[in-house]
Formats: sequence, structure tokens, C-alpha cells
Amino acid sequence: MKPLRLSGSQPFTQQQGVFIMIGERTNVAGSPKFARLIKDGKYEEAVSVARQQVESGANVLDICMDEGMIDGVAAMTRFLLLLASEPEVAKVPFMVDSSNWAVLQAGLKCMQGKGIVNSISLKEGEDAFCNHAATVLKYGAAAVVMAFDENGQAADFADKIRVCERAYRILVDKVGFPAEDIIFDPNILTVATGMEEHNNYAVDFIRATKWIKENLPSAKVSGGVSNISFSFRGNNRVREAMHAAFLYHAINAGLDMGIVNAGMLEVYEEIEPKLKELVEDVLLNRRPDATERLVEFGETLKGEGAVVAEKKEEEWRHGSVEDRLTHALVKGIDNYIEGDTEEARAKLGRPLAVIEGPLMAGMSVVGDLFGAGKMFLPQVVKSARVMKKAVAYLTPFMEEEKAALAAAGHEVKAQGKIVLATVKGDVHDIGKNIVGVVLACNNYEVIDMGVMVPAEKILERAKEVKADIIGLSGLITPSLEEMVHVAREMERQQFKLPLLIGGATTSRAHTAVKIAPHYSEPVVHIVDASRAVPVTTSLLSDENREDFIDQHRAEYEAVRKAHAAPQVKTIPLAEARKRRQPIEWRKVDLPQPEFTGVRVLDDFSLATLRDYIDWTPFFHTWELKGVYPRILDDERQGAQARQLFSEANALLDRIIREKLLKARAVYGLFPAIANGDDVELCGDSARTQPITKLHFLRQQANREGSEPCRSLADFIAPHETGMCDHIGAFAVTTGIGLKEFADSFRAKHDDYNAIMAEALADRLAEAFAECLHKRVRDEWGYGRDENLSPEDLIHEKYRGIRPAPGYPACPDHTEKGTIWHLLDVEAKTGIKLTESYAMWPGSSVSGLYFAHPESRYFTLGKIDREQVADYAERKGMSVAEVERWLAPNLNYDPGR
Amino acid sequence: MTKTSQHPLVEILKERIAIIDGAMGTTIRTYGMTEADIRGERFKDAKKDLLNNGDLFTLTQPKMIGDIHRRFLEAGADILETNTFGATTIAQSEFFVDDPREHGGRKDPDFYQKVIDDPFLKKLAWEINETSAQQCREWADRIGKATGRQRFVAGALGPLTVSLSNSPDANDPGFRSVTFDQVKTAYAEQARALIAGGVDFLLVETIFDSLNAKAALVAIREVFDEDKIELPVMISAAVGRGGETLISAQTTEAFWNAVEHVKPLSVGLNCSLGPDLMYPFLEELSQKANVAVSCYPNAGLPNPLSPTGFNFGPEDMAKYLSDFAKAGLINIAGGCCGNTPEHIAAIAKALEGLPPRKLGEKDAVEVAA
Repeated sequence: MKPLRLSGSQPFTQQQGVFIMIGERTNVAGSPKFARLIKDGKYEEAVSVARQQVESGANVLDICMDEGMIDGVAAMTRFLLLLASEPEVAKVPFMVDSSNWAVLQAGLKCMQGKGIVNSISLKEGEDAFCNHAATVLKYGAAAVVMAFDENGQAADFADKIRVCERAYRILVDKVGFPAEDIIFDPNILTVATGMEEHNNYAVDFIRATKWIKENLPSAKVSGGVSNISFSFRGNNRVREAMHAAFLYHAINAGLDMGIVNAGMLEVYEEIEPKLKELVEDVLLNRRPDATERLVEFGETLKGEGAVVAEKKEEEWRHGSVEDRLTHALVKGIDNYIEGDTEEARAKLGRPLAVIEGPLMAGMSVVGDLFGAGKMFLPQVVKSARVMKKAVAYLTPFMEEEKAALAAAGHEVKAQGKIVLATVKGDVHDIGKNIVGVVLACNNYEVIDMGVMVPAEKILERAKEVKADIIGLSGLITPSLEEMVHVAREMERQQFKLPLLIGGATTSRAHTAVKIAPHYSEPVVHIVDASRAVPVTTSLLSDENREDFIDQHRAEYEAVRKAHAAPQVKTIPLAEARKRRQPIEWRKVDLPQPEFTGVRVLDDFSLATLRDYIDWTPFFHTWELKGVYPRILDDERQGAQARQLFSEANALLDRIIREKLLKARAVYGLFPAIANGDDVELCGDSARTQPITKLHFLRQQANREGSEPCRSLADFIAPHETGMCDHIGAFAVTTGIGLKEFADSFRAKHDDYNAIMAEALADRLAEAFAECLHKRVRDEWGYGRDENLSPEDLIHEKYRGIRPAPGYPACPDHTEKGTIWHLLDVEAKTGIKLTESYAMWPGSSVSGLYFAHPESRYFTLGKIDREQVADYAERKGMSVAEVERWLAPNLNYDPGR
Repeated sequence: MTKTSQHPLVEILKERIAIIDGAMGTTIRTYGMTEADIRGERFKDAKKDLLNNGDLFTLTQPKMIGDIHRRFLEAGADILETNTFGATTIAQSEFFVDDPREHGGRKDPDFYQKVIDDPFLKKLAWEINETSAQQCREWADRIGKATGRQRFVAGALGPLTVSLSNSPDANDPGFRSVTFDQVKTAYAEQARALIAGGVDFLLVETIFDSLNAKAALVAIREVFDEDKIELPVMISAAVGRGGETLISAQTTEAFWNAVEHVKPLSVGLNCSLGPDLMYPFLEELSQKANVAVSCYPNAGLPNPLSPTGFNFGPEDMAKYLSDFAKAGLINIAGGCCGNTPEHIAAIAKALEGLPPRKLGEKDAVEVAA
């Protein structure tokens, strides 16, 4: 999907999986207060409403002046021109909202950036629609398209999708409107009206949303959320619960954005369970009496109204001080924070203990809820605000502590200045905030520049305050590129400071391979807040600095070696092809399998697979490095390893006994001929009916002396031999049921067993691959007399190989697509491929079988442009696409 | 939409970095022209000083202007800009219309309505644009033929002295002295006249105010639609030290998002910042934009002691622009204020053989999976 890109004075790019909040308070129809201000001509106050919306996290502002007493064109123009002079507001994109085309046009003439027009539709027929769309495009805006046509508003699912599809086709095919700038509003209509035909409105919207996202490429979906609960006006508790629950389901179905009150959103998880059930009964149309039940329950809430709210407040106040702090952080309530913080300080003795204890614990709950999409950004911002208040309250005590230390003769000096920022384009800063707090608590002076900070601002500030270290944070993938940019700029401007890198998508490998090479000073990845202090301390310590940096550089150099060898000398493709693996083709080496075609193994015995498990990687998962079974007697780790092993086996017993996981496999053997670096698969042994083609790559780099330039295609007999060879393919999984099983542990906060279950499932999948390979060798004929022990199997002492796409011999993941098609893997086993060709469930293995005695594993290594172009041609892909999939194997920089 | 794919310049841009010419205004300075020279016979009775109205030289000193065009082409420019930076009714009004502020009035939409309806200004603006386009066309074709290398003419639509984004009245931030439609009308007339004079592209340049630029781009679209013609469009913004358009304070990426729908032949940065300060913003634009990127900065900062009035000499500019080229950031290069034909010659020489920024079909902004 192409993301929606907009701009005010700042760019706004939609992030995958992040809901766009459109502020609704600057809408005269939605906000009586705003309407009054406009009618009274109090535009300056009206501007402050816009500012509050931006401050509470609205990504886009909806501006609507549709009211009988207001001159829409004049009011829209004046208000937008005022906003243009208000830098804090002007940075966000605007959505001009009107049912009057003249007002929309007036709005278009006031936006310097790329805004949104809300809305156009087929209401007045196709000609007017095309005309309006062309104008919107001419002014460079995106458009909300209502599911409305000549016959009126589309209410049910069938009508919604029919109208949206028609509008989409007209816009894309006839007007040339960019698909990613089309935002459908399939009408959020009021439910629980008492009319039976309205009961399915929420479901219809959610289904239509899903359909649009699946069928109309790149189109977006939006809606005015508050409409859904209109029948409960006056009862805000029910309304807010309905909004939260509705959003939760609609966002899951693909809703990209919504017009909401950015400052007031209930957290889905926090809806009282009884209310949530009743609300969802209504929204999801789960029972005929849902409306009555919610109305009834709503009345009791309304009756008690304030009392209930107060009582509820009282209730959480009765918890322990730790619970109260957590509650306050999650809910963003700061009324009691100082008192509670003081109580915690008295209880725990030291201010730092309060921060490191209950406050950090509370923030991590917030982090989890946000990560799971159950909290929205504004709520997180509120939480951070509460956190800051608590820290602010504690700061004087920490100062006092420092002063006391100083008085007692201990030297106390600020250890260093650290400039922290979340990089441009990214708004996530929980981790950075925590790092900031931890560093500040450890006596560093932290200058936190906040979120979305451009490189030049960070560097300017670092110079200005004479910072000792710069720390960058980011959560989304594009931030990685921005960090590279900052590093490059630091190099160009000849900075001499260490650079710290942190945030969810960052990694040591990425830092070492992609960022560090651009900057001569140390660039260190910080795994989590706990690592920030030791790294910072080492970097700023006179005694340890050199050692730390030496060690760090050596470590990163090793990472780089492991990840990306520097450019190497390659052999031209034509010559490499001449140097294919020399094989003397003999009939005796090409056994004829007992079957060709596809076979399925459903519900394979887990007890059998157990014998095939290779335990060594299992211990690695748990960071116990050593080889099974020796590790069990290891002097240092032995005890730990034995305990882990016995618990793993206990859980495995349970998995097998209770059949908690299901093992499925599909595999097939096919007549095959090698043709250059491709292998053609056929439906018949005469090899006249080609089914599909596998594409392989050939080694070109580091081929010393007469070392052959191998390709997997070399292991299949080529046409000219006239011999009938075969190739196999397979996919196995032991992950069916795993998620439910692991989640059942997580529900009990038992992460240990959840991870254990996942690690075991992974081992079982590998075991299954090994076990199936044995079976295939038998069926192929040549394996029957091999007589190998399970240990020999683990050490692969048998004939033939089973390389997997995405692994060193054939690193192109997209070849999995061919296997999926060939074996109909998804239908037969349930294993899906994601858009990046990852297998889901994760505990799955797939690959190809080669039987020739000379076949062996190898690492493709680096390839040159010529081979990439050749491969692209063979695969029918663009060169750019091939370069993307094979990025780690390119012996050149495709950007140049 | 603007069809740019078949244009011969597109082919050139894939092969090498194309050169755009240098500054007209600061090069004119080196000819030592006087107030009397710019007035000539035709404007001898004008009430206001005209020496800073450089576009008028097109009409009163065509020989000098032709000489400058020729020198830029001989220096290696592929693209010649018309001398029409201020050739709109609105910009010309500064030189020919009484300023109401001198009589206690103010410039407001009523004032500008009279300006854009003024027959003298309309005729003058048309004439400057059409004449300059013809002069450039002639020189470009002549030198093109002589050297066997095709040259192009970009019709320049410059900024205005009025802003659609800012209020001139500190007490009323909602006030604007001119309306969007008025600006659009002025630009539409300029675009038509440039097309009539035979330009190859339209270049909306030195954009301080993105909303003004939007008015120009809408005007161009409407001219294309009404006159059933289609030329490639080039866009170039002037940004300050924070990478924001000088008046409307829009960041580079935000600006690109706002103009991408035009599907321009190129987008870029010019004027304001010297090349030394431009790097990060050019890099940002180069990453985000999926069209050719142009760069023609000022020759550093103004320096009254230098003959051109600017800091950097030809070798300085050549070094900076070849650094940009080596970083793979640009497809079109040249200079703005302070860049003489000698500067352009040095730039052209330094960029010879350096590869252009890669123009892919890839959409540079796909969401990472």
C-alpha cells in the first residue's frame, strides 16, 4: 500500500499500522463551543481551539463551517489564513470539510501544503464528480469520497462497496487521481436507534472497510466516529465506550483514520468489562436485545452519573501506592501524582528508587498497551506528562541528595551532557524518555529535544550546549534511514562526539553495518534503557574510554564482517557458468523415485519428531552457548542447562500428550531438467510437460584457483545428458495451535513458558524437516540402506541436500512463492507467506530436495550487476525489485 | 498531467547532469548599465527609478541581454532561463503604480484588482515575456545548431513582492493584500505569453511562498487545459537555513508533498542559501522526490566588495556542485544570484563526466514493510 502523504508546513506521512487522528473540535457541527466562537467573530479564540487539538495529538485538523448562520466561504478563508500565521498549527495538514463545493474551493486556495478535501461524491452524478475531483487534483489535495451516489447514501455493505468501487474506478481510470490519495468514507451511521434495520450499521461499515482495503489498492478509509453513538447523546460514558470499541474493531479491519476528539479517547482495554460486552453486542449486532440491554444499563450509569464516576475514582484510590502510580500513568491522571509520589518516596526511602521502581513499571505497562495498539498516542503523551510531573517532584530531593553527598566530601559533578532526540519523521519517544530519565537519575545532564527533530536542529543544539554525546531514537523503519542521515551529517560537519542509537527497530547489526560506517566516531547501539548508563559512563570515562572504544570497534567490525563482506572481486557471469560444478553424469547416480507428484502428511506424530530434535540451537535461544549433550555437564552452565532441559521436556511431554500442536507437511517429487541456471520441473517423466521453473544464482566471488562457481542448478542433470533426473520440494509446520498455547501462558503473565513453547515448536519444525527428509530419501530409493543414527542425521551424514530459499545457497526468498504454488502449500498445510515471504506460523520450514551424491551446501556470496540483470530477466522481475530482495548479496551499491 | 516522459531533455537527464544558466541580474551589473540605459526612449518619462527592474532590459537593451544569453550558452548551459523573473502585472506594479502607502492607504485586494486589470501593465508584462522567450529561443537554437547540441528555453515565473501566506499587517494576521485568484490570474497571463514566445518548459522558481507557487501551478494547469497545450513544468524553491521556504516556512519534504501532483520534470532548490549550506536539504529532496532534482544556488552570500556582489568565485561553485554530483544528488545544475558565465563554465567543466542522480521508476516513498 502506498501511504498517504500530506503536508502543512511540515510533512506528514502515514505510518503503517498507526491510526491517523483527525481533530474534530474545529468543526462547527461537532463543537458548539467552536460554532459560538465563529458566530461571535472571536476568531483568535477559535484558533486556540485548533492549537489545543494539535497539542493533544491530532495529526490533521478537520475544519468545518457548515452552519446556517455562518458565511461559509468567508469564515473558511479567514480561519485558514489565521491558522497559516500560527506556526504551531500551520505545521499540520488541514482537512477542509463542507457539503458546499464553493467552501471547499475557498479552502483549497488557502492551503500551502497538501491537505484533504472532505468531501466529494457521486451524489450529483458522474460529471460533477469528475469535475470536482479534477479540481482537487489540480490544487494538489487528497479527497474524502463519501459512499453516496445518485440514489442516495449507501447504508448496507453491498451498497457501500458498490458505490466505493464505482467511484474508485472513475477516479483512477478517468480522472487520473492518485489511488493513495482517495479516502473513502463509507458512512458511519448511528446504531441502537430502536430500528431493526439500523442494527447492522456498524458491522456493515467494518466489513466495507475491510473490503475496500482488500480490493481497492492503496485507497484509504476514514469516518466520523461520533456518529455511531448518536442515539446515546447525553450519556458520555456509553458514547466514549462505544467510540473506543468501534475504533478498535474498525482499525483492525483497516480503518486508516477517523475524525475524533483527539484529547478524549477511552482506552479499549480500560472499558469496564460489563459495559464493553454490552457495547460490543450492539456494535457487532450479536443479539437481538442488545440495544435494550445497553439502553437499560446506560440508564443506570446516567442515573448514578457523577456518583459512579466519583465512586470509581475512590476505588482506585484504595490500591497500594504502586498500583495507584501505575493507574495514574496508564490513565494519564495527574491530580494525585505528587501526593502518591511523595508516599512512594517515603515508603521506598530514595527518590531514585521511586523512579526505577513503580514509575518505570507503570511506563512499561503504557509501552505494552501502546505497542499492542490498545492505547493511542495522545493518551501516551498524557502518561508521559504524568511521569514528568512525578520526576519533577522528585528532582529537588535528588538535588538534595547530591548536595548532601557533596557536603560529606564526595565529589559530585555533572558527568556529561547528552542531547537526546527522536529523529525526524518519528513520533515515538517512550523509550527515549525512559533513557532520558535513567540518565538524568544517574547524574547526566539530559537535553531532550523531543520528537520529529531534524538533523540540523540536533547538531546545532549539540554544538550550542557543547554536548558530550548525542542519542537518537526511533521506532519505525524509515527512522533507520534518518539516523544514517544524521551520522553522515555529523561526519560532514566533523563532529567528534559519540553517537548512541536506540529504539525498537534499531539493532546492533543495523547500527554496525548501516550507520557506523558513515561516522568516524563511535556509534553505539543501546539495546534498552538499562544499557544506556554503562555505555555512557564508559564513553565519558577517562580511564575506560579507550578500552571501551577499542572493544566496541572490534565487536562492530566482526558484526560487519558477518553481515556484509566488503566489495570483493567477482568473476564475469559467462566465465562463472563455464566453471560450474563438474559432475560426471551416470545413470546409477539418478535413482528413480517410487512416486512423483505431491503428498500430504496431516497430524504427523509429535512423539516421532521428538527423536529428531537437535537440541543445541534450543540452548542458544536461551543464551546458553554450548553443544548438546555436553552442555548438560558444563562446569559453568551445566546446572542451568539441566534445569532448562528438564523443564523443556516436561512441557514437551504435555504438548505431545495433550496434542497441543499439530504437525503438517506437504512434499513432492518431480521430473526435472537443468537449463542453464534454471531448473525446469515437469509433470511427466518424458519431461515434455513443464509445470514450473526454479531460478538459481551462481557463485561469482572469492573463487580461488579452480574452485567451481556453484549453482544449485548444477546438481540436476542438464538436457544434453538425456538422463531423467528429479527434484523435490517440501514445506512443514509444527506451529499450528502454537499461538493459542503461548497466549494462554502470556495471559497468566508466564512469559517463560510462552517462550519455551515457541522455542520447542521451532525445534519440532526443524525435526520434522529432518524426519521428512529421511522419508523422502527412502521413497526416492537411495536412502533405504543408509542406516544412520539420529545423531548422524543431525550431522547430515546422508546423501543429498535440502536447501531453503532465503538461505545461503539460494538467498532469494521469493522462490518460496514457486514452491507454494507448486505444492499448493497454503491450502494443504495452512502455512502462509507474508508479503516479505516469511512463513506464518513461524515454526515452519520449507525447501528443495537434491539427491545427487555430489550435491552439497554452499554459500552464494556476492554477485555482480550482470547476474542480477540476468536473474531479473529470467524471473520476469524488475532489476530494482531483484536488488531489493538480494540486497545482502549485491557486490555493488544499487543506489549509484 | 504534464507529459514529460517523451521530452528530449528527459533522455539527456538520464545520461548526464544538464546545465542551467546563471544569474541575469548580477551579470547585468557587470555591464555598468545606468538608469538612462534601462529607460531608453520608451520609458524615459517613468516616474519611478527603473534600474532594479532588470526584466525591462529585454525591451530596452536587447543586445546586452542577447550577449548574456550567448555567453551562458557558450559557457555550456543546456537550459536558458528567460529574463522574466518579475514580468507579471503584480511585480511590475512596483515600478509603475503609485504606492498607496505613501498617501496613508494600503495595498489590499482592491488595489491589486486594479493592477491586474491595468491595460498598460498587462500589455507590458505580456511583451516582456513574449519578447524574452523569443530572444532566448533564437539564441538557444542558433548556438544549438552551431555546436550540434540541442539547447532549451525555460520560461521563468518568479516570486512576487506580495505573499498569500503572510499578513503585512501585524495587527491582523488574517489579512492578505492580494487574493489567490488575483495571483493566479497574473501568473496565467505570464505563462501564456511565455508559451506564445516559444519556451520549452515553464519554470516556477525562487519559491519563497508555497501558496504563491501553488497559485502559479494552478494557473499553469488551467492554461494548459484551456489552450490544449502541454509543456513540462520545473519547480524550484528558495529555502533558508532551516530548510524552510523563506516566507511561508514550509520544510523541503512538506513542499515536495504539496507539489508532487504536478508531476514536474524536475524539482529543486535555488537562490537564497549558498551551496555550502544547501547540502542537507538537497539531500532530503533527492531522497524524497521521484523526479529529476535541480540545484542552482547563489554564489554564496552577498559581498559588496566582489564584482558580482557575491562571495564565491567560479572555482568555489564548481567544487560545491561537483560535491553534490559525486554524492549522487543532482540532475540539473547551475547558479543563481552572483553566478556569471565564467561560473557556469567552471561548473559545466567540473560536472563533465560525473554521473547524474539515478532516475528510477521506483516510488521513493513506498512504506517500508
